[in-house]
Amino acid sequence: MRLWNIVQSRLRSVFLRDRREADLREELQFHLDRETERLEASGLPPETARLQALRLFGGPEQIKEACRDARGTRLVDDAIRDVRYALRGFRRTPLVACAIVATVALGLGLVVVAFTFLNALLFNVDQVPNIHEMFAVERPRTSEDEPKRFTRGEFDALRRETSVFTDSYAESGIDSRVDGRPSEGTLVTGNFFQVLGVTAAIGRTLTRADDDPFEGRPVMVLSDRGWEKLLARDPAVLSRTLLVNGVTFEVVGVMPKRFRGLTVSPADYWVPFSTVGRLRPKDRGREADVGVGIIGRLKPGQSRQTAQAALAVWASASESVTDPSTRSGSSRATSGDERAAASVILVPRRGTVRQPREAAFVTAPLFLAFGLILLIACANVTNLLLARAVARQREIGIRLSVGAARSRIVRQLLTESLLLALLAAGAGFAISRVVLEASIHAVMSSFPADFGDIRLMVPDADWRVLLFLLIGAGISTMFFGLFPALQATRIEPVRTMRGEVVRDARPGRARDVLIGVQVGASALLLICAAVFLRSAFAVTKEDPGMRTSDTIVVAVGDERYRPAMLEAVTTEPAVAEVAAAWPTLAGGPRTALADASGTTSTVAYQFVSPEYFAVLGIAVVRGRTFMTNERAPALSVAVVSERTALTLWPNGDAIGQALRLDRSPVSQAPSASQTPDGDGPPLASRTVTVIGVVRDVPGFYIAPLPRAVVYLLTSTAMPGSALVVRVRGDADVVRQTLLKRFAVIDPTLSQVEAFVLGWVTRMQSYFLRMGFWVAVGLGALALALTVSGLFSVLSYLVEQRTREIGVRMALGATTMDVVRLVLSQSFRPVGVGLMLGGILSATASGLLLATLGRSIGQIVRVLDPVAYGTSLVVILTACLAAASIPATRAARLDPTRTLRQD
Amino acid sequence: MVVILRFTAVNNSRPDPVFSPRPIYKRPRMSDQTDVLQGTLDLLIMRTIALEPMHGWAIAQRIQQISDQLLRVQQGSLYPALHRLEHQGWIVADWGASENNRRARFYSLTKAGRKQLDIEVSKWERLSAGVNLVLQRS
Repeated sequence: MRLWNIVQSRLRSVFLRDRREADLREELQFHLDRETERLEASGLPPETARLQALRLFGGPEQIKEACRDARGTRLVDDAIRDVRYALRGFRRTPLVACAIVATVALGLGLVVVAFTFLNALLFNVDQVPNIHEMFAVERPRTSEDEPKRFTRGEFDALRRETSVFTDSYAESGIDSRVDGRPSEGTLVTGNFFQVLGVTAAIGRTLTRADDDPFEGRPVMVLSDRGWEKLLARDPAVLSRTLLVNGVTFEVVGVMPKRFRGLTVSPADYWVPFSTVGRLRPKDRGREADVGVGIIGRLKPGQSRQTAQAALAVWASASESVTDPSTRSGSSRATSGDERAAASVILVPRRGTVRQPREAAFVTAPLFLAFGLILLIACANVTNLLLARAVARQREIGIRLSVGAARSRIVRQLLTESLLLALLAAGAGFAISRVVLEASIHAVMSSFPADFGDIRLMVPDADWRVLLFLLIGAGISTMFFGLFPALQATRIEPVRTMRGEVVRDARPGRARDVLIGVQVGASALLLICAAVFLRSAFAVTKEDPGMRTSDTIVVAVGDERYRPAMLEAVTTEPAVAEVAAAWPTLAGGPRTALADASGTTSTVAYQFVSPEYFAVLGIAVVRGRTFMTNERAPALSVAVVSERTALTLWPNGDAIGQALRLDRSPVSQAPSASQTPDGDGPPLASRTVTVIGVVRDVPGFYIAPLPRAVVYLLTSTAMPGSALVVRVRGDADVVRQTLLKRFAVIDPTLSQVEAFVLGWVTRMQSYFLRMGFWVAVGLGALALALTVSGLFSVLSYLVEQRTREIGVRMALGATTMDVVRLVLSQSFRPVGVGLMLGGILSATASGLLLATLGRSIGQIVRVLDPVAYGTSLVVILTACLAAASIPATRAARLDPTRTLRQD
Repeated sequence: MVVILRFTAVNNSRPDPVFSPRPIYKRPRMSDQTDVLQGTLDLLIMRTIALEPMHGWAIAQRIQQISDQLLRVQQGSLYPALHRLEHQGWIVADWGASENNRRARFYSLTKAGRKQLDIEVSKWERLSAGVNLVLQRS
C-alpha cells in the first residue's frame, strides 16, 4: 500500500506538474490567510497582520522550492527544465545547432551502416519457430578445402538409424536457368517445410507426397524474392508455370518475406529432391550420390554434445561398412583427412553467416573506418562547443554565483548535447538507409551481369539497429559533450560577472590533440585509398602466363550436345582456334605421383588437345608439343612444364626421358559430383616419354595454378572436357554470338557455360577498385571534416588574438612573422597527426599481412611508399590551404584599427 | 521559555540565498545538526494527525496549543516536512472544506504511517530517556 502511494505520488508529480504547482500555491495561500485572520483577531490592523503573517511564514518561494525538493522528483523536474532551456537556446542559434546535428548525423549514419551489415550477417536469425534447435550435420574442416559433403544415401541412412533429431531434411543448391534467366534454387526433401514449422504466405508448402521418387510432381515453392524476380509479383501466381532447366514446374506456393530457409539470403525457389535427375541430367540414375547438406531439429532435452557423439559413432560405424579397405584392416596409414572424415560435428543453423568469426573479421575494418569518421565529426563538434563555451561565460558565471552547483550546470550542458545527439541519431538513421540503398544499387549495377547472379539485398533495420543507434548517440554525447561541459564550468564567477571574459588566447592542449587525431584519422583513410588504387593498377598488369583477353572457355554440361556444340564453335567465323582441356580452371587440379628413374614427386596432370598450347599462348621452351595427328600410340607421350623438368631431372635434359604416372591416393577419393568437371576419366597408370618442355603457367592471384604440370594428350571429343577457344575481336561480343548459337542446340541454355578468361583479372581489379572508391570517399569526407575543423579553429583563434597581433605589428612584426605565428599554431598537431596516421597504417598493414597471409600481400601492396607519400602530401596541402586563409586575414590586419578596438 | 525549533528540510539541502558567507561551490551538508530535530517534527506531525485529519495550519496551531506554547513550529519547515512525509507514503492528502468553508488540503495517517509512528515514538522515548539519564547522573 505504501509503495502504491509512493508510486502514485511520483507519477502525479511528473505528469500533473501544473496542477501540483497550483495546489501548492493554494495550500500556502490558505495558510497565510488563516494566519492573517488569527493576527487580525488578536487586534492587529489588516495590513500589519498580513505583513506579520508573511514574516512569520518565511519566503513563500523558498518554501515552495523546499516542497518541490521534498517531492523527490528533482531529477525529472530538472531534466524537463533543461530540455526546455536547450530548445529555447537552439531556436536562438539555429545555425550552430544544425551544424552540430549534421556533423554528428554523418558520423553516426555511417557507423550504423556498418552495424546494419553486421546485424544482417550475424544477428538476424531467420523467422523459424524454435530456431535454436536447428543444427546442420557437417564434417569438420581440416584443411583449406571444403570438407566432403554427405550424400543423399547417407542422409537416408542417418534418418533411419539415428534418433537424435525429431526430424531432419536434406538440401542441395542448384544453379539453373528459369525462363532463360540465371537463378539459384534449392532441392529439398519433402519434409523441409514441416521440419522448420513454417507455412506459406500464398498457397501451400511442399509435402512428402511431392517428393515421392515415383509419384513426385514437378511443383515448386517460390521465395518472396523469387516471386519478385521471376514473376514480378504477379498476384495470380498459383496458376503459373516456370521452365526450370527445360522442365516445367508448377508454382504451388509463395513463402512470406521474412522467411529465408536458414540462409543469409534466400534462394529463388524450393523444389522437391526427387526432381534432381530431371534438372541435372548428369545426376540421373545416381541420385543417392548427390552431395547434400543435412539439417535437423534436435529432440528437446538433447544436448548438442550427446547428439554429436551419437552421430560420430554412427558415422564411424557406417564408414567401416562402406569402405572395405578399413574393414580388411590394411596397414596403410590413414591420413588425418580420412580420420576426420569419420567424425561429425553439429553446427547451429540460424540463418546467419556460417562462419561468424570471419564475418566479424570482414566487417571490422568497415566499422573502424566509419568509426574514424564519427571520431573526426565528434572532434569537430567538441571544438565548436569549446568555442561556444567561451561565449557563454557570462551566463554560466551568473548561474554559478547565484548558487547553482557545478554538477548541475554540467548536467544541463550535457542535456543539451544529448538532445542534439538524439536529433543527430534520427537524421543518421535516415542517412544510413540512403547510403545503404545507394551503395547496394551501385554495386548491383556496376557488377558485370555475366559474372553471375549476386544476391544482394538492402539489410533491414530491426530493433537491434535502433538500440545501437541510441547507444551510439549516448556515447557520442560523452565524446563531444563532456569535455566542453567540464571546461565551461571551470571559470571564476566573480571575474566573469565583472565582465572580464577570459579570451581563449592559447588553444590549449585539448584542441591540439583533437586536430592531431583528426589529421591522423584522415591520413589512415587516405593511405588505404592510395594502397587500393596502386594495387588495382598492379593487378591489371599481372601476367598469368596465358592469353586471357581473347580466350573463352566453354563448359559442356550434357555430353549429347557435344558434337553439335563443337560444330557451332568451329564454324563460327570469329573463332580462331579450338582446343580442349580437362580439368579446367574451374575445377581443382588433379594430382598424380610421378616417378622418373628414382625421383618421385607429386605433379598435377592435365589432359589437353594439341592446339591447347597455341590457343593459350604457352611458349615452348624445348622440344615440341603434340601434333594434331598423334593418336592412339600417342598415349605414351607427354609434355611437361619447366618446374616439372627441374624437379624430376635437375641435372639432365628432360626430352626423351621416361616418366611413370600413378594414381595419387588422396586425390582419387570418390567425389560426389561436387566439382563441375565431374570425375572424368580415371588416370590409368602409365609410362610416358617426354617430348617437350613448356613455360610454367602461374595463374591468377586469386586462382593460382600449380606450376609442376604434366600434359597428356586427348582430343576435343573427350567427355567432360571443356573447350578452350581463341577468338578474334572483342571476346564479350563473340561470347554473346556463341551463346546465341548454343541456344539453338540447347534452348534453355542450362547445360552450357561460357566465360571469358579475362574476367578473372577484371574481377580481381573490380574488388580492389571497389575498395578504392569506398576508401577514397571516406578519406575525402574525413579530410573535408578535418580541414573545416582546422579552418574554424584557426579563424577563431585569429579573432581572439586580434589585439595581440595588432600590438605585435605595431611593435615591428612583419607580415611573414604574423603568418608564421598563425601557421605555427597548427604545425605541431598536424605534424603529430600525420606521423600518427602513418605509423597506425603501417602497423595495421603489418597485422593484416600476418593474419591474412602472403596471398593477400601479393595482391595488395600494403607498404607501398608511393601510396604513403602521396596521401601525406595531399593532407599537408589541404591543411596548408585551410590555414592560409586565416593567416592572410591576420596579416592584413591594420594595427591602428585593432588597437583602437575593444 | 519559548523554544523555537528551526526545522529545515534535510534531503536536498539548498544553500541560503546570495548573502551567504560560505564558498559558492561547496554544498554544506546541514543534515548533521538537524537530523534529530527533523525527525522530531515528523513525529509531532504524525502524532497530531493520528487522531483526525487536519490541514497544515491546524497542525501547527495544535502542536503549539498542546505543548503549552513551548513548541512553536517554524512555518517554513512545516510544509516541506508534510510533503516529504506524503512522498514517503506515511500520510496522504486530500482536498476538503475547512472550518470557514474554504478549500484546504487535509492530511491523514495511512496504515503504514501508523506503524511508523509507533516505531518513532519508541525511538524518541529511548532517546529522551538516555539523555535524561546522562544529564542526571553526570
